[in-house]
Formats: sequence, structure tokens, C-alpha cells
Amino acid sequence: MSENMINTVPEGTKKAGEASSDRRKFLRKSVALAAGGAAIAATSAANAGDGLKTWTTPLKNEPTRHMLGRGVVSVPYGLPSKYESGVVRRNVGWLTADTIASISFTPWQDLHGIITPNGLHFERYHAGAVDVDPSKHHLVVHGMVKQPMIFTVDDLKRLPSHTAIHFLECPANGAMEWRGVQMDSLQFTHGMMSCSEWTGVKLTTLMEMVGVDPKATWFYGEGTDGSALQRSVPMEGAVDQHGRPIPPEYTNHYRDAMVCYAQNGEALRPENGYPIRLFIPGFEANISTKYLRRIMFTDKPLVTYQETRHYIEVLPNGMIRQYDLVNEANSVINYPCPDFKLNGKGTYEIRGIAWSGYGKIAHVDVSVDGGKNWKQANLVEPVLNKCVTKFTLPFEWDGEEALIMSRATDETGYVQPTLKQLREVRGFNSIYHKNSIQVWKIEKTGEVKNVQIENV
Amino acid sequence: MSKSKMSNWSLGLAAAAVALTLSANAFAFDAAALKSAPKVQGVGMNITDAAIKPWDISYFYDGTNLPDGKGTVSAGEKIYQEQCAMCHGDFGEGAHGYPKMVGDPVDQFEASAKAGVDAVSNRGLNNTWGNAPTLMDMIHRHMPFYAPGTLTTDEAYSVTCYVMNLASIPGVGDDFVCDKTSLPKIKMPGEPLYVTNSGPDTANQRCMKDCYKGTPFVVEKAASIGNVSVGKVKAKDTQ
Repeated sequence: MSENMINTVPEGTKKAGEASSDRRKFLRKSVALAAGGAAIAATSAANAGDGLKTWTTPLKNEPTRHMLGRGVVSVPYGLPSKYESGVVRRNVGWLTADTIASISFTPWQDLHGIITPNGLHFERYHAGAVDVDPSKHHLVVHGMVKQPMIFTVDDLKRLPSHTAIHFLECPANGAMEWRGVQMDSLQFTHGMMSCSEWTGVKLTTLMEMVGVDPKATWFYGEGTDGSALQRSVPMEGAVDQHGRPIPPEYTNHYRDAMVCYAQNGEALRPENGYPIRLFIPGFEANISTKYLRRIMFTDKPLVTYQETRHYIEVLPNGMIRQYDLVNEANSVINYPCPDFKLNGKGTYEIRGIAWSGYGKIAHVDVSVDGGKNWKQANLVEPVLNKCVTKFTLPFEWDGEEALIMSRATDETGYVQPTLKQLREVRGFNSIYHKNSIQVWKIEKTGEVKNVQIENV
Repeated sequence: MSKSKMSNWSLGLAAAAVALTLSANAFAFDAAALKSAPKVQGVGMNITDAAIKPWDISYFYDGTNLPDGKGTVSAGEKIYQEQCAMCHGDFGEGAHGYPKMVGDPVDQFEASAKAGVDAVSNRGLNNTWGNAPTLMDMIHRHMPFYAPGTLTTDEAYSVTCYVMNLASIPGVGDDFVCDKTSLPKIKMPGEPLYVTNSGPDTANQRCMKDCYKGTPFVVEKAASIGNVSVGKVKAKDTQ
């Protein structure tokens, strides 16, 4: 077996009966699959044209060849081609009681880079998207400060600016997959994450202006929408409501925080908090308050309903874990994925995205045999802090069943866990922070399915 | 105290030791973080606390900043039936997919979690809610859902009182009066279960070759999953 080839003889699938455990009596079928047969990277270069069919019909001009097209500004704000009308945000009707307190998903299966176009950024509302008039909007910064201050949006744009590309991810990304396979689409397994270039004022600039009391250990932002959403953000020395310390790896994220007014170079969209939002890179998105109107510095957390009822984890020991704030390293292959069907054997490029709330992606490894053997993928520049990183790896599909998966390692050395590892510590009662390795199964037909490997 | 609670407390104490070691300036934010912040002047306005007050609507878990006023269970029942029951159920059981007020009793909730059976869909004020003042904050800020922030202070106190009574929160009898002094004294049943996260909890290794022996047990989605599935967005041939 050559160094750049991972190949085993496929044995096809065979029934292995239902899952043994009662607690996993879910509506699904189970099969045992022998290691798939597919190679990462071609083993030898073929001669030009070898093995391909031949086109003999004389070529015809397309209709566009003999007509005039549209003039400039016929579409003053440009739109995608009508042939791309399927590339849209989608929601899952049964997931929430209505579309007002709900979520939609980014179609990563149709994206080719690291930036999410603004119209495709996932949405998460607690009381719907609102249209806030920027000429009447203000931001108040107060609490444990020397001088409480108030800013207009224009004031904020006048201050020294900061621009950075970061992902933003709802911690419920992948939540529907905790208990078993549910969603046969990448959009629904990983679409609660988007990545944009954000521009605004660094929080530390505002902290300096108001003179934050050195005894402050927390702050929170609050929105001006119906939910007036608020979340407590720890700083160095933060302790929880019982006096227990917040881990040090969570207490420095605020240093990168900003009050944003722009996203991918244009004003924030109403869906994403226009005219201004808080943004804390690496943290679960719920903490980055949209429609921001107020920041208060304190020496204790609020313990809001978001922190006591929603964004918690019920652990297998019966305890309820709070303040799980960082989105840890995660990755997924977005080509091939269940939203596409492979068109015959031969060369493909495995492509995917990786991200970590702790920093840069260090490595992404890819397996096509269910995780027995792995090969390091190419990282596509730029590789940035708390940002989606694209990876690629040549893939030679032999037409047999294959289990393809990616595994990210970030610069702290943290390695993306398997689903089994995650369930061992979090159990089956979790909703949030499901960052386990995603497995896609390529069928002989070329169809790609969402599957889970339970035993390793 | 159960063994599991003990171990979580121990973890908390271990984490405390780490924090004290790593942070030279424990229990205060690191002012060095501001050293690189630019010095600016002439931008923005100073504002008085009195001017901020209408926006200063956050009630902390310990009751800090709770407003004057009061509410009763009986007044809350009337408001709840008119403005809340259509979503949260006549008896707090939830309706149309909106949250329950009354979940499994906390002992049952904890047992379910330990047994690996569904506990999260049975969340309610009687299991996953740490502090009564936070409930007042939520109701006054965000409820009723279709007209957020429209309850008066007394109405919000009353609804807070009624839903705690509905969820059989100890101490909140039919004659209980909710105000800024009484709410912080309520012991919510789930409060002792809360622990604080202590950082990454998995430790996968970056194995590259022959990472396991045997056959992967692959689970697929069942065709019979019915309305739980939305299926594929599309399956188009690659070009």
C-alpha cells in the first residue's frame, strides 16, 4: 500500500440487526458496513483521453449567442443567476413552534469558499427580525465604568475600526443528530454556521473610553428587539453565581470582541442585527447580541433564561452544565455530500470546511474507509483565527461503497471527537455543541447518505 | 450529596486552583487587555444613570436591580389564562410546541438523565431553572411572546408568582406575594444541579494508520422516520 493511497477490499453491506440498546430505539435501520473501497489520490496518471466516450455531434450556439443582454443597473442590487435559485436558506418546520423564534440554515453544499454571502447567512431569531432606524439608534455603555457613555451609529463608525474574518455558529448546529441520523442534507446537519468578514469597533476601544473598573469580571450586551436578548460574557477572573471559576480559556475571548456595523463589506443585514451587533469570535452565536443597544459591565453573571433554561447541557450524571461557550474544532466534507450524487467512478476532489473557536485550524485529516486510515488534507489559504478554513484532497472513486469523513485539529492540539467519544461524556440528552466527526456513506449508485458510526 | 455531585464539586475546585495559578490578577479583568486600545476623544456623549434607567431592565439571578412593585398568584392566574395559556398550556404543560412551565419533578428529571432517557423535552421551571429573579426578568422582558415587554411591573410579578405556583415551586403557595425581597429567597428545585463548564471534555488522538480493528457499526436513517425527516434538499448529478 503506497503512502498516498488508502485502499481496502470492499465486502459490501450486511444486516447486523437492530441497535442493541433500548435507549436508542429510534426510527432508523442499522447496517454493518465493511471498510469501503476507494482511494485517496490517483495512483498513476492515465494517458490523455484514455477510457472516455467520444462526442461526435457538431456543436451548436447557445441562444445567448445571438441576442442582446440586460443593460447596466437593470438589477441595481445584483442577484445570483436564475439557475442558482435553489441556493437559499432553508428551515425545518417541525424544529420550532413558529418562524419567529426559529432558525434557518446556510446551504454549505453549494458554497465554494470560506465566505458566506450575506443573503445566505443563517438566521436565528428569538422575537423575529426587526428594522431598526440607524439614525435613531443608540448604544449605551455603563455599569462598572468611570463614565457611562452613549453613542450614535455614526459615532461608532468614526472610531478606529477593526476588520476580521470569523465564523459565527449557533451551538445547536448538528443538534438533530445527537440521538441518531435524521437529516439527509449537509444544509441541515451543519448549516447553523456561517463565516463573514466583520467590521466594527473593538470592544476594548469602548472599554478604554468609558474607563472600565478593573474589578469588573463580566459584561453583557442587550438587544433592542422584542426579546431584548442578553447574555453574560466572562472576562479574566470571572466566577459563576456559585463562586466557581469560569475556565481561563473562556475568559480572554472578549479581547477580540467587537461592536459590528458591517458584514462582508456592506452594512449588516437586518437578519444579522442591523444596524449594530455584538460579535465575540469563537463563542456560541447566541452570546453575540443582535440589534445591540446596551453593554453593561458587572462583577457577576446575570444567569439569564438563555443561561439557565436554553443553552445548557443535561449530562449523563444528571447535572446541568452552564457556560459551555466555545464552539470547539469541527469540520465537514461539503463535496461529496448527501446533496449531490456522484456521476460515475473516476477522479473527484474531496472538499470541506473546518473551524475552531479556539484559534486556527492546524490540520484536517480525511478518511474514506470509515476512520481506519487517514490522510492529511491540503489547507487552502487563508488559514485564519476562529475562521472557516477550506481543505481539499484528490479522491479516486472506484465505484464501491465508501465511508468518507474529515477530522479537524486546531492550533491548541484539540482533535475533533468521534460521535462515540462525545456521547460518552455528554450522553444523549444534549442539544448543543455537537462537533463530532461527520460520516457520509457513498453508495455504489453514487448516492451519498448521512450515516453515523456508533462503535468507534 | 450524591457521588456525582461530589465529583463535580471536586472538578470545580481543581479548576479554581488552575485559574488562580494562571491569572496573576484573579477576580479582576486584565487591564493589560486595554493597553493597545487607541486613545480617542470627542466622540460620543456622557450619559447620566437617570437617563439610562428606562433601559436598565436586567434583573440579576440574586435579585439585584429587581424593581419596586409586587404581584400575587391570583392576579397572575387571570393574566396567564388571558395572555399565556394559549402557548404554555392551561396547566403549564406547553402547547403547539411552545415551552412547558411544568416539567418532570427534579428527582425524575435527574433520574431520566442518568438513565439515558429523554429529559430535555421535559424541562420546566421545576427542574431547569436556577433562580426566581431570572424568571421575573424573562417574563417582564420577553413576554407575552406576541407583544413583548408590555406587562406592567406588577403584572410581571404576578405572572412570575403564578407560574411558580403552577410548577409547585417550594414556598410559593396560593397566598405568596412576589416582590424584590421575596423572589431572591425562593429555592428553585433544579438549582443544586447546575455545574460550570471546565473546558474541553473529549481527548481524541490524531491517529493516521490502522486506527481500529473490526467493522464500523454504521447507522443510517430509517425510511420510516416519517415527518421527522425533511429529506434531501436535492440530489443532483455532479457535472
